[in-house]
Amino acid sequence: MSAKRVILTLVAMCLMAGTATAATLKIGSLSPLTGSYAADGNDIANGTRAAIAAIEKEGGIPGFDKIELFAEDSACDPRQAVAAANKLVNEKVVGVVGAYCSSATIPASETLAEADIPMLTPASTSEKVTERGLPYMFRVCGRDDDQSIAAMKFIKDVLKAKTIFIVDDKTTYSQGLADNVEKLANKEGLKVIAHDHVNQGDKDFSAVLTKIKDAKPDVLYMSLQNSASGALMLIQAKRAGVTAAIIGQDAVYHPQLMEIAKDAAEGMYLTFGYIDEETPSYKKFLAAYEKFGKPGAYSAYAYDAAYSLLSAIKAAKSTDPAKIKAELIKGDMQGASKKIKFQANGESGSNYIIRVVKDGKFANFWDPQTGKKY
Amino acid sequence: MDYLFQQLINGLTLGGVYALVALGYTMVYGIIQLINFAHGEIFAAGGYLGVILLSYMASQGLMDSHPWFGLAFALILAMGYCAMLAMAVEKVAYKPLRQSSRLSVLLSALGMSIFLQNGLMLTQGVYDKAYPTEFTHGGFEWLGVRVSYMQIGILAVTALLLVLLNTLVFKTRIGKAMRATAQDKVMSALVGIHSDKVISTTFAIGAALAAAAGIMVGLYYGSVRYDMGFVPGIKAFAAAVLGGIGNITGAMIGGLIIGMVEILAAAYIPAGGEYKDVFAFVILIGVLYFMPTGIMGENVDDTRV
Repeated sequence: MSAKRVILTLVAMCLMAGTATAATLKIGSLSPLTGSYAADGNDIANGTRAAIAAIEKEGGIPGFDKIELFAEDSACDPRQAVAAANKLVNEKVVGVVGAYCSSATIPASETLAEADIPMLTPASTSEKVTERGLPYMFRVCGRDDDQSIAAMKFIKDVLKAKTIFIVDDKTTYSQGLADNVEKLANKEGLKVIAHDHVNQGDKDFSAVLTKIKDAKPDVLYMSLQNSASGALMLIQAKRAGVTAAIIGQDAVYHPQLMEIAKDAAEGMYLTFGYIDEETPSYKKFLAAYEKFGKPGAYSAYAYDAAYSLLSAIKAAKSTDPAKIKAELIKGDMQGASKKIKFQANGESGSNYIIRVVKDGKFANFWDPQTGKKY
Repeated sequence: MDYLFQQLINGLTLGGVYALVALGYTMVYGIIQLINFAHGEIFAAGGYLGVILLSYMASQGLMDSHPWFGLAFALILAMGYCAMLAMAVEKVAYKPLRQSSRLSVLLSALGMSIFLQNGLMLTQGVYDKAYPTEFTHGGFEWLGVRVSYMQIGILAVTALLLVLLNTLVFKTRIGKAMRATAQDKVMSALVGIHSDKVISTTFAIGAALAAAAGIMVGLYYGSVRYDMGFVPGIKAFAAAVLGGIGNITGAMIGGLIIGMVEILAAAYIPAGGEYKDVFAFVILIGVLYFMPTGIMGENVDDTRV
């Protein structure tokens, strides 16, 4: 045996010994890393990474040398989300942050539920997500029924609208929300001029916007699945001469909206969870997120989801799902996005407020709880 | 009435874009009977080069002092770049397969399309890229119909390029060579036409038109994304088939019709917005079924080409 081979054998043995003692905690994230929703999807993966970095900085989780993230691409597609969820099951992750589109989260959660893997969604707001009785499904963001109630309250109390035109792009999320708003509008006695649909990924909205300009509604409720589509609709609405107040929802809450639409976005309202940017938790999140650039809409929620999961594992001193669940429900922490207190059904409460685009930024505008402007 | 006119203007703008992209499909098909699926990606590449150039010029203040010069410069540079890109694609993916079956070339085209789209995604990122659009919001209102300068710009550039293309194909030597090669590759080679060069030129011209369309789409809608070539590519292909594939005037008319139908379906059918794509493709199926040669297409004996 030559000296070279002896050294190689020794090196190999050392490496094997290294992997044998190092316990790695595996967690997964599911979000659309490619395709139309890649902007929000990458924010979710990065938020999860930031939380792992923050936990490791605080000393990590006893019993584990490191935390490894498997960031899978759900592509906002039910089939791919299930395939990605299966991959995470095979990797034996102990918990998953995700997914983004409700239509992908729901089937993926069924796959994870079969393996009893806890799933915490930072972004899927459809009511159906938590209403299927899955034991390990948690939600960090708010719910669409609450979101539509907040929007309608604003439309009625502040905008004092009599007529409304609703447009959605037919996803589980966007259409569900638009349907809720339509129901509430009928209940509140507003006239729903039309509830029209466009396709996901459309670039040209001129036909429907000309319709809206002609119908002269007081309010246009714009329920689109992503901020880039929202920006395109705002630009074209301005060009077409639509004068209605435009109100959108959480999916278009992303800096990309103003980057593309620029001045055409000014004055647009949207519903989004209230985030207190003055809390120490938010500042800690900002510091951990710094290397990923500006936080997007769901960065803080993904951070909170991952942070809650890892804290629960730490407190439970175990990766047993039932124990993690018990710790999640026991926990009551001030997260970066909001105060997080999980209930037995997996919800953590909604706190939607109205924001407005002002000088190229999202500014807090009106709180439906108090009925006051900020 | 002004509602109808407004929608017609919307349709005309969209149709103009489809027409420009459709020309590339139809010219390539006319000359080598290949449906060049990578054409939509060339269109996207044009849009991206446009945003890179215009953003740079805007950051240097050039777009404020000389907006028209800047636009023309970006347009010409992108057209030139995409022409070269398409010639390279042709060299790599299609020329080695000239003697193979049509199916191999078609598969090669599909592969090229996936390659280019992923190349754009990896080099330019998955996010939408915003165009500097400050100068595109203006417009005027006439009898209740709003026309933006951008819409006029799109139609004017489309019309100009079509006139140039027609002159090129029907009035110049290279145009004559293209028509000869399209009719009979072997015979034209026998009389001294360098068919490889002619085919390469055809790809270049089609790509230049697509690049122009890419920039105009970016300016008009405000952003570009790596996968922006797919849907317009398919629609433009439908337009080329509708007009009679291989026929330049047909592609133009087909593009305008597809654009109009899409907009009018969304405008007049209740909740038609969600079915507008269906209408565009129903036309394609209808044409293939009842009128396989399209509006302007001739009855070509397949054994001849």
